Amino acid sequence: MVAQIVAVTIFIVMFALIISEKIERHVASLGCGLLMLILVFGVCMHSGSAVLNTLNVGSIFTPGFWYSAGETSESPAGINWETIFFITGMMVMVEGMGRAGFFRWLCLCIARLVKYKAVRIFITFMMMSFVLAMFIDSITVILFLAAVTVELARLLQFNPVPVILAEVFCANLGGSATMCGDPPNIIIGTSLGYTFSDFVTNTGLIALICLVFVIIYFYICFRRELGSGQTDVQVSSLNPGDAIENKKDFTISCMIFAVTVVLLVTHAQTGLTVSTIGTVIGIVTLITAGRDAVVLLKKVDYKTLVFFIGLFVVVGGLEQTGILEVIAGFIADISEGNAMLMIAIVLWISAVASAFVDNIPFAATMIPIIKSLAASQGVALPVLAWTLAIGTDIGGSATPIGASANVVGISVAAKNGHMIGWGRYCRYMAPATILVVLISMVCIYLRYF
Amino acid sequence: MERQLIISVGREFGSGGHVIAENLARRFELPLYDYNLLEHIAEERDITHEELKRYDEKPKSRLFSRTVRGHSNSIQEHVAQMQFDYLRQMERDGRSFVIVGRCAETILKGNPGLVTIFILGDMECKVKRVMEKYGLSEREAQQMCKKEDWERKYYHNYFCPGQWGDSRNYDLSVNSSRLGLEKTADMLERFIRTRMQF
Repeated sequence: MVAQIVAVTIFIVMFALIISEKIERHVASLGCGLLMLILVFGVCMHSGSAVLNTLNVGSIFTPGFWYSAGETSESPAGINWETIFFITGMMVMVEGMGRAGFFRWLCLCIARLVKYKAVRIFITFMMMSFVLAMFIDSITVILFLAAVTVELARLLQFNPVPVILAEVFCANLGGSATMCGDPPNIIIGTSLGYTFSDFVTNTGLIALICLVFVIIYFYICFRRELGSGQTDVQVSSLNPGDAIENKKDFTISCMIFAVTVVLLVTHAQTGLTVSTIGTVIGIVTLITAGRDAVVLLKKVDYKTLVFFIGLFVVVGGLEQTGILEVIAGFIADISEGNAMLMIAIVLWISAVASAFVDNIPFAATMIPIIKSLAASQGVALPVLAWTLAIGTDIGGSATPIGASANVVGISVAAKNGHMIGWGRYCRYMAPATILVVLISMVCIYLRYF
Repeated sequence: MERQLIISVGREFGSGGHVIAENLARRFELPLYDYNLLEHIAEERDITHEELKRYDEKPKSRLFSRTVRGHSNSIQEHVAQMQFDYLRQMERDGRSFVIVGRCAETILKGNPGLVTIFILGDMECKVKRVMEKYGLSEREAQQMCKKEDWERKYYHNYFCPGQWGDSRNYDLSVNSSRLGLEKTADMLERFIRTRMQF
């Protein structure tokens, strides 16, 4: 009981520190992780094995960590090193692509393809945001997309805010479509042993259906604001070729990206785990970068990796003390064993919570809960997993602070003088989020019940 | 070439700090920058300054903002950074000016031509001035003083390591209620002219 109280207190303190931004979130999660190891496992539980289980370093040295022989399995509790290895590799690859000018080149190519018409740019950039976010982290996608959008808007004289908002929403939606699109999905996939194609055929399909409605919704909302775009202005400064910093680097980064997509799509068949894929693409990117390898390594967001490690320890503490089973029992009581109600609860709680707090710790906390629900209530674990993934990924779109892509999109717009406050943001994004969560719920009910 | 002179005036709400800054700008024949800083920024960037004005010198809400890899959704923070960048640019261009508030004493710290002043005042005097200026009751004026000062303090302390109004951060902290606005400006003019000789 004491261990549970201490574990919950540490968890709440960590969340409060992350929200308050008094100290950086990686310091908060690592500090609270250390407290969890010392106070809960050491002082309260006197359990050295719990410490070892949570640190989970041994898993890296098992063959299953690198090669799953066609079968995927659930990760043990504690630090999910598969997620850490995969995200690190992806970070290195994305840095390499950014340096080579890939994203800017792609944006300018598409703008030229649609003849610099504002409405066409609006729609194609939404789709591009969705597709890129399926494979690349949404922060990077929005960072480049929003910057090019502002540039195009200035030249073509249309308001970039509607386009940026729609891009942000589609990036979050695209992130829900695949296992590597959004950190909660990576954690869910690696923790529960799902493959890339499992995600694509389940959350991916739902996300695609939602995308159609989202494009229509945003078009109806913003068609008047976009109508004033001029196309007879000088666009010679927007030559896609100019975006390429170095042709050799550009070609290599495109090839690495293509190989990564192939490896991810086929990883269930090849048996390569996401940690292997992440490690390989990271190493290949560094080798091909030559002297720039050090620069790429320095650009890796170590703070996010440390944040993940601390977070896994804190959630591991909650799991080991059994507190998450209590929460799962509570959800089961409310829903009285009704699977459809349970799905609705998981979906809406995930969506609402993710609209206000970081969806990564939320998803990490919810995984043991849905595992427990599936075991005790007989609800199919995959259905709960897809529900959790959709709820956490899409819910974040509702408010400016719900997801990283929202913050970055708003920031890029603001730096260029286009202020997007809470009112303006929520007026369009909150209804879109509610719409998509509702459509997702209907899709889940129709397909799985 | 004439020596650069930048006069930074921090102030409590109702202390008459703005009036003193205007007075000093006239005496030293310098342009005065306050909320009009945003008009200049908006003009340069071809954006509407009305949109920016409501976030001027306002504190960032911790609860409603989030920072991701150095990017923030707080408009208050972006507007403040735009002003800081503009001030730094003017400083680099070697321009002389008077600047009211906007953390200038910290942003431009290290410039040999910078004179930093903080104007405070007795509560009764501040309330009286606010009542006259805005046509408010005593209670309303008191509340307005408290609210505005809280916002300035919170805004300042978020961006600066030093505390707002802490005399150690300024060359001179003056209570304008002691000498009145005109005589305080006289005293400050003498101080600044003496400083300029060094």
